[in-house]
Amino acid sequence: MEKKNKATDRTRSAYGTAKDRVDSVDPYGFERSADFDYESYEELMSEYLVVLTRRAIKWSKLLKGKSKVQKNVKLKRYVRKGIPNEHRALIWMAASGAQDQLEKNPGHYQSLLGARHDPKLVETINTDLNRTFPDNVQFRKTSNPCLQKALYNVLLAYGHHNPAVGYCQGMNFIAGFLLIITKDEEKSFWLMDALLGRILPDYYSPAMLGLKTDQEVLGELVKVKTPQVWQVMVDQNVMWTLVVSRWFICLYIDVLPVETVLRIWDCLFYEGSKILFRVALTLIHHNQALIQQAQSLPDVCQSFKQITHGPFVDECHTFMQKIFTEPGSLSMATLTKLRATCQARIIAEES
Amino acid sequence: MSRKKAAKGKAVTNSPSAGSPTGKGAGKAARSSPGIVQMNGVVHPSRPSISSSSEFYDIAFKVMLVGDSSVGKTCLLVRFKDGAFLAGSFISTVGIDFRNKVLNIDGVKVKLQIWDTAGQERFRSVTHAYYRDAHALLLLYDVTNKTSFDNIQAWLTEIHEYAQQDVVLMLLGNKADATHDRVVKREDGERLAKEFGVPFMETSARSGLNVELAFTAVAKELKHRSIKDPTEKFKLQEYVNKEMKGVGCCRS
Repeated sequence: MEKKNKATDRTRSAYGTAKDRVDSVDPYGFERSADFDYESYEELMSEYLVVLTRRAIKWSKLLKGKSKVQKNVKLKRYVRKGIPNEHRALIWMAASGAQDQLEKNPGHYQSLLGARHDPKLVETINTDLNRTFPDNVQFRKTSNPCLQKALYNVLLAYGHHNPAVGYCQGMNFIAGFLLIITKDEEKSFWLMDALLGRILPDYYSPAMLGLKTDQEVLGELVKVKTPQVWQVMVDQNVMWTLVVSRWFICLYIDVLPVETVLRIWDCLFYEGSKILFRVALTLIHHNQALIQQAQSLPDVCQSFKQITHGPFVDECHTFMQKIFTEPGSLSMATLTKLRATCQARIIAEES
Repeated sequence: MSRKKAAKGKAVTNSPSAGSPTGKGAGKAARSSPGIVQMNGVVHPSRPSISSSSEFYDIAFKVMLVGDSSVGKTCLLVRFKDGAFLAGSFISTVGIDFRNKVLNIDGVKVKLQIWDTAGQERFRSVTHAYYRDAHALLLLYDVTNKTSFDNIQAWLTEIHEYAQQDVVLMLLGNKADATHDRVVKREDGERLAKEFGVPFMETSARSGLNVELAFTAVAKELKHRSIKDPTEKFKLQEYVNKEMKGVGCCRS
């Protein structure tokens, strides 16, 4: 109630409406949608800025201008509370091992770009260039520098670096996001290498076995942690791939709000793919009453879209606290075991 | 920063009717697909708003859009659903998504639940599980992309393997407005369609050419099959040939 009044007061202030005060393009270059709620955003940001400032001071004390960091309990705690944007590239590179790879392989990125290109790969990548973040000003052809060219380079280099994967739709969004944050092609390339090569199972290879496995693993976890939702999925005959494939393939890009995705990625680079399950389980657990209302398959699909919007996911700081409490314990051992079981099941079904 | 839940989608969908005009069945309430934000004639993909409106219908069918990456599946669907073209403001479809539209076919409210799929080959192993429930498949190629046309045979093989035997199938040569970039002649499309015995037409999501017709023809065929009215004769190919428009002229 009090919050509402505060917002109303601000709206009526001498400085115009929230829409006049808040930029129509967000800090990452994304244009805000036509129905963007500027008032709620301003209200949320006034609180989040306090957190950001506090965290920024703590981080600058921790780093003290150092360009190297050691993984330890304290750093993990700091990462969970959010990496300030100016240190994001540094911490992602260090935590994921991408920095080590970059240093061990000087010139590798450039040599991939200089080599002869597979025309098929070039064509596939080109198909998606105009379809990657058309709502981001940095990807416009008129923008200088234009991230579209950088996006092409990173995807092309990665496709040649890892020919077993080549290019898979969804990688365009990941590379694009990395470029927005690092503003550096080579770093983005090595972060792609860390994600696809070490952090994630094989989501993007032609058989997409890792993706299929993790979708089933999520199903198994929901069965234990939120059995009512699992029952709805069974009753309405909904395959998990239908509702969560984008969550895994795009690592929540364009599924959840940008700021929330960045906070998830902070933990993803530090702690690994387990985080993706924590996010999914939190969304499902928190909204189980809504999902249970679904009367049909389209209803279920609709509810899974609906739960990725709204204050619960917009308030990224609280949301990130919730992902470590709401789904309960989730050990890597459990995940490894479930992955093995589900993978064996899928292989058996497909053969 | 919760997004306002203004019912933007409602303005562009059919207004909910009070009941079934045919008097058959009570008419089920169903949710519409996520809202499309339309302003200044430009349509943005469904990133922000979720709207749910109740629409009544008598019969419902599942239609799937398939074909190579970037042949225009999403644009065709948005043109049909909202009557607008997604000029440069759409993103690659990852995975699978759907939108609903209710059509009035000879007094019967037919709901099409239209599934839009990722075109890249590796996604087929994820999406073909859905073929078996589809009542109709619209198979698209791009008249400006020879490869997408050459891949039609592979798509048909895939469809025969995974879809139902009696699935309604139609071949569409999309982007027919792009006269300068065209590399696949209409005759080539016709020949291929004839060879495989499927109805064919050229469409353009940009200009709207035959878009409504493609979906209406499928809806008519499905309605005809499900109601089995002996007084009514319907032949999909004949209907399509009669109603189809050519590119840039009034071929009838």
